[in-house]
Amino acid sequence: MNELLLIVFSPLIAGVIAWVIRIRGVREGIGILGALIPLLGLIKAYPSLDHGIKATITVGGFEIGFLLSHMSWVFSMIAVVVGFSATLGMVTTARDNYEWLFALMSLTGVLGVFLAQDLVTFFISWEIMTFASFMMVFKFNRQASLKYFLLSIIGAYAMLIAIGVIYAKTGSFAFSEISAFFRKDAMMAMLGGQPAFSRFDTALVYLLFLVAFGVKAGMFPLHVWAPDAYSETDQSYTAMFSGVLSKAGVYGFILLYILMYGKLMVSLGQFRGAPLFGYIIAFLGGLTIMVGGVLAALQEDIRKLFAYSSISQLGYILVGLGIGTSLGIEAAIYHAISHALFKGLFFLIVATLIYRTGKTEFKDFGGLAEKMPYTFAMAFIAILSLAGIPPLVGFASKWLIFEAVISQNLPILGGMVFFGSAIGFVYLIRFTYAVWFGQRPSDIENTKDAPLPLAIAMGILGALNVIFGIAPGIVARELNKLFNSQVIGGNIWELDLGFGRYNALLVTIWLVIGLLIAAILYFLGASVRKVPVTDTYQSGNPVTMDYNLTIRRNFFLPLKEAVEFWLRISFDKLYRDVWKSIEDFAETARNYIYNGNVQAYAWYLAIILLILAIMGV
Amino acid sequence: MFRVVINALLILIYATFVGFMFMGIIRKVTARIHRRIGPPIYQPIIDTLKLFGKKENITHGLIYDFGIVFALGATILALMFIPLGNISVLRAYGDLILITFLLEIPMLGIMFAAMSSGNPYAGIGAQRALLTLLAIQVPLGFAIITLAEYYGTFSTYEIVMAQQIHGWSIFHLPLLLAAIAYDIVLQAMFGKEPFDIMIAPGEISLGPMVEFGGKHLGILQVQHAIGLFAETLFFANIFLGGAVITTFSNPILNTLATLVVLLIKQLAVLLLAIFISTIFPRFTIDQAAKFYWKWPTIIAALGAILASL
Repeated sequence: MNELLLIVFSPLIAGVIAWVIRIRGVREGIGILGALIPLLGLIKAYPSLDHGIKATITVGGFEIGFLLSHMSWVFSMIAVVVGFSATLGMVTTARDNYEWLFALMSLTGVLGVFLAQDLVTFFISWEIMTFASFMMVFKFNRQASLKYFLLSIIGAYAMLIAIGVIYAKTGSFAFSEISAFFRKDAMMAMLGGQPAFSRFDTALVYLLFLVAFGVKAGMFPLHVWAPDAYSETDQSYTAMFSGVLSKAGVYGFILLYILMYGKLMVSLGQFRGAPLFGYIIAFLGGLTIMVGGVLAALQEDIRKLFAYSSISQLGYILVGLGIGTSLGIEAAIYHAISHALFKGLFFLIVATLIYRTGKTEFKDFGGLAEKMPYTFAMAFIAILSLAGIPPLVGFASKWLIFEAVISQNLPILGGMVFFGSAIGFVYLIRFTYAVWFGQRPSDIENTKDAPLPLAIAMGILGALNVIFGIAPGIVARELNKLFNSQVIGGNIWELDLGFGRYNALLVTIWLVIGLLIAAILYFLGASVRKVPVTDTYQSGNPVTMDYNLTIRRNFFLPLKEAVEFWLRISFDKLYRDVWKSIEDFAETARNYIYNGNVQAYAWYLAIILLILAIMGV
Repeated sequence: MFRVVINALLILIYATFVGFMFMGIIRKVTARIHRRIGPPIYQPIIDTLKLFGKKENITHGLIYDFGIVFALGATILALMFIPLGNISVLRAYGDLILITFLLEIPMLGIMFAAMSSGNPYAGIGAQRALLTLLAIQVPLGFAIITLAEYYGTFSTYEIVMAQQIHGWSIFHLPLLLAAIAYDIVLQAMFGKEPFDIMIAPGEISLGPMVEFGGKHLGILQVQHAIGLFAETLFFANIFLGGAVITTFSNPILNTLATLVVLLIKQLAVLLLAIFISTIFPRFTIDQAAKFYWKWPTIIAALGAILASL
């Protein structure tokens, strides 16, 4: 059997086996194995990437083809590393074999998306991925899952129409042929000939793909499914759901670029040096950053906070992709990698918290840093990484996006990105404050630290956050291979763009030196005495544990008041209203057309006959 | 290698000393505006020494200590990346975005330490600090964008060198707008009225600082001194032309002249901040957010758009 097929299908097979075998212990082992095989397979395939690995199977007259290129290797690697960590986490948190089946099935789906070499494979894998993730949400919350499913279906069928349009004109499903066709078409249009795709057709295909990939990536205003779907499922699975499945949307946009970059540029023109179609994606990405960030800050549920945060970070990737230079795309892929790493870590932390305490809302947490030191250390890494603190991987990728945006002379987008970095800081501190610090409620007094499988999974992702942060050149070197040119210069420790440099090793060294100096100052002073949390300043009054000293509710009330006007505009509400009127219309149509009156049905027949008579049949 | 260590040490000592003098100047000038004599200019040094001399210190746990150490360590880190004339250690890596981020990190450490104390005043102070940070980030971002777009580079040192040839940044209209916005932002970065909402003495008992005493507060004083030095230095570098003096034949004289010129520029920035802070009362936090998202943002965005044309 071809190794590529093994990589793609081993999670699915393992999932089915785990579903059939209901023995606790064996099922977990098989599940982990199913996620481990693709990881090893991809590492093994790495040396032979340069000539590409292909595999095809024929099903129902269609060629299902897979191709491993540099681009798909990078994305698949994200998928399997985070997927493997998530399955490790699921050893603890999964409640039955149903979850194993669909979690692993969605891993197969997403690997299929990344490795597809034609639109049919791409679409089928896309649907497998959507269906499996829908089933994962469906078990926990019907309402949330249906919302996710409906929007995903709209996206998927928009894609199907677009594929239909492309196939009708090009007569091919293979990416390489379509891409060649569009290149020729763009050339034709530039030389003044009659292109196969008119301006309208191109714009239509673009819009359909925008909807299709935008839904998956959680792009504003199509993001409404994400907060519900991400929160109402097994949180270990969400590490994969948010870390990897959202990258399918990102990969989709990259695919759009691969297929028809030149054609879109020629047909839709430019805006301030950036291609217009890219600018639209980037601008929506900018809005996504802001909306996701502000809403994340105002959440009262730990899962919701990270769901919105996930949306917000996806916005960065869209901004990077949108500006469309090779630097922008590399920055976006870099951020996709780092987002998968730190957001996967975050959701595993959330899974641990929920598993150990059984609570999800901020008002029930507090003071857990002492009880769960390992989990807190991991949370510390993840917080520094997401907030973009050098020398972690989150900073390296954000820095690239900043430089890519600003060097393209796009000031408004730059402002949005800056706002996004501050709001990231804001909602993370809220999480830190409410969960880890302050007074501990008495009912979580006996919380234990993370169970071993979750601890290992967190350790993997945490270590990668640090390693890629200190040596950002490792990733940059891989990304340079995508374009076969030195887009991001420098060595393993340093990123050098020509107009800006970032040396992570020096930052680390000097941070350590700074910390040492500070520590010397600290140890120069007299020794410290530990005091309990109630031994604190409360306007000079004595306090006991009966007082609630930690602000747990509505932490950012002033922010809420400052943006009150904007919060009234809710796309969630809009979609619900639209859906409600569709339902009403269906009800009305049912009442009027199927009205139970036999004579009415006779009249319908008469009317049809009349129409036929007029048409002269 | 040895040279780097000596340089770093000298910069650190110089920055700490000047930073403390700045803190003294703030108190002195404020006093004179109020027609008081005020404390001697070296008063903050005495205060800090007293804090380190406390016989007993309290702690609320590991993060409480680590946050403070982290804040000072990150401030030192930021200082090393900002060009100080021609004697800086890492000026080749002094990227605008990097320094902007590095100047924010100390806040994270202070916040961590403050919140781990579990004090409600610290909590409310942290909330206000974060919202201030969020509010200033927009005009700050636009100001940085203006600079990068105008000069076509992100390197702070190259921007200083460009100003040696083309004149100070504030004499070019887009950059003047950015400088005005950045100066308004500086008021909040220094923690001075009308934007000292995060500390708010008299209103929320010093906010994040409420639980610190003894050596913790002492370290925060040192951090504040270095932070003050770093922030004024960064502003002087990017908007007021920095300084790389080469008129003398003796390198030591050159260095001293550079430091003097930079010091004058830093003092100018600082005095402006003091004058504003002594005559304006404090904003509330929602007023501050709305203010920063309105006028400074419009000014800086205008600058950024002008620079990108």
